[in-house]
Amino acid sequence: MSDVRTPILELRNITKSYGSVRALTDVSFKAHAGEVIGLVGDNGAGKSTLIKTISGVHNPDSGQLLVDGVERHWKSPHDSMQAGIETLYQDSGLAPDLTIGSNIFLGREVPRRGLLGKMGFLDQRQMERRALEELDKVGISVPAGRKTVSELSGGQRQAVAIGRAVMWAKHVIILDEPTNHLGARQSQEVLNVIKAAREQGLCVLFISHTLPHVLEVTDRIVVLRLGSVVRDSPTSEYTVESLLGTITGLNK
Amino acid sequence: MLYFYFGFRNTRFFTTGETQNLIVDFAGLVLLAIAETYVIVSGGIDLSIGSTVALSGVVGASVMNHYQGHMSQTNLLLLGTLICALVGFGVGLVNALLITVVNLVPFVATLVTLSAAVGYALVMSGGGDVGDNQAAIIWSSHGWWAFTWLDLIVLGVMIVASIWLHFTRFGRYTFAIGSNPFAARAAGINIKRHIGMIYVLSGVLSGLIGMYFFIRIGTGAPTTGAQSNLEAIACVVIGGVALTGGSGSILGALLGCAILTVVADGLIFINVPPTWNQVVVGAIIAVAAGLQALRSKGARR
Repeated sequence: MSDVRTPILELRNITKSYGSVRALTDVSFKAHAGEVIGLVGDNGAGKSTLIKTISGVHNPDSGQLLVDGVERHWKSPHDSMQAGIETLYQDSGLAPDLTIGSNIFLGREVPRRGLLGKMGFLDQRQMERRALEELDKVGISVPAGRKTVSELSGGQRQAVAIGRAVMWAKHVIILDEPTNHLGARQSQEVLNVIKAAREQGLCVLFISHTLPHVLEVTDRIVVLRLGSVVRDSPTSEYTVESLLGTITGLNK
Repeated sequence: MLYFYFGFRNTRFFTTGETQNLIVDFAGLVLLAIAETYVIVSGGIDLSIGSTVALSGVVGASVMNHYQGHMSQTNLLLLGTLICALVGFGVGLVNALLITVVNLVPFVATLVTLSAAVGYALVMSGGGDVGDNQAAIIWSSHGWWAFTWLDLIVLGVMIVASIWLHFTRFGRYTFAIGSNPFAARAAGINIKRHIGMIYVLSGVLSGLIGMYFFIRIGTGAPTTGAQSNLEAIACVVIGGVALTGGSGSILGALLGCAILTVVADGLIFINVPPTWNQVVVGAIIAVAAGLQALRSKGARR
């Protein structure tokens, strides 16, 4: 596929080792705005390492990372967030003891006006209200009132976590196994939020073991095996069988 | 309620004198419980607060002893307060570095300073009391109604610390880190720096308590605060702060302190031998922690 637009996210020859273990070898791919890309691979294929590199949890040993055509180096996850990349890690998205609003605005709290705000006081009421509004925009409905995340069902928690990423991402959302542990209907809600994010012109990196979900929602699928990209093709060129074969290495 | 129970068993419990004793015992515990609340809400634990009380008291007393008679009493006490706060800051900083740079778990890191701080307090003091400032003791008994000025200062710090934990960004991050450090880090919070600041805060509060005890007894003793660690942790647990981090409130911890103080003082008043005190405290902790465990089991279904 020849796309002449500047990719919103581009990786060039990313290599990363942990001690003597080579986790990623020369990983390169491009991702465009309004595109959902599936990132699949067996356990240990390097998916987690790759997304941690993109989101700034750790740095690659070599290779380049470009956002909107500009090479970037992250010192911390905060840097990648500032550049418009939101990451939702498996099972670590939310703080269960905090309210929905506090979670949505975690790290981006709205201060009160005036002197109190400068002293670090927070406008909790505004955050709770805006959180519900923003979640509603991406089709997520949660119970009103200051409920903590621990009071929500698993599906609702995941929806809130993804809604949070969609709300704050300017360019890219990385979703690590967002449909894990969810029932069929809840998974479908998550996939709908991903489609809503694409409509908004965001680029979504969707990591999942559930291949039917990957085939349903993505435009392109990048397959990793043993730390290298073994295939990068439009989703229409895969079937569940061929995808599984590519992941395990039984094809070819 | 407990207060009235003990009051009816022995009406002398209600007298201003006894209420004053209660408040004094309570005030000494409260700042440590607040320090411990911050730490435990963030998912950690600080075992070194009692030792920090001892060390700052001894160091502060030595310095004040040196300058006694060379400056006014007010300046002397202010100097002592500053020194105690600095010693607390130092111990807190060591904790912070051990935890965030050396990556020790808080339990081990603060066990190190627990031992080292009280040990150094013994070395410096030679095991005995340091200094003798009668004027401080006299000042410590002045105040308004059943409150001494010292109690009112503690009350002020208490109010500021609770508002700070519950309504500001610093407090929010403390809860978030205790609730899920991965989520907090993913949200862009510098969790190492924040955790470091919490241990420094805990150290400074403990240092100030060192000064508090100096003013009350007029000397710095290396044995002061020996039991404070566990008492403070007990208050926090009785007050419903989860040891796993992420939930709880200063108000709860204060209630825990109140229960512990009233029971400890009240038992003496209804003629229970003081040797039973710790047993009763243990029973209260068991009940409080048990209720908490049952409640969280219920919440998770």
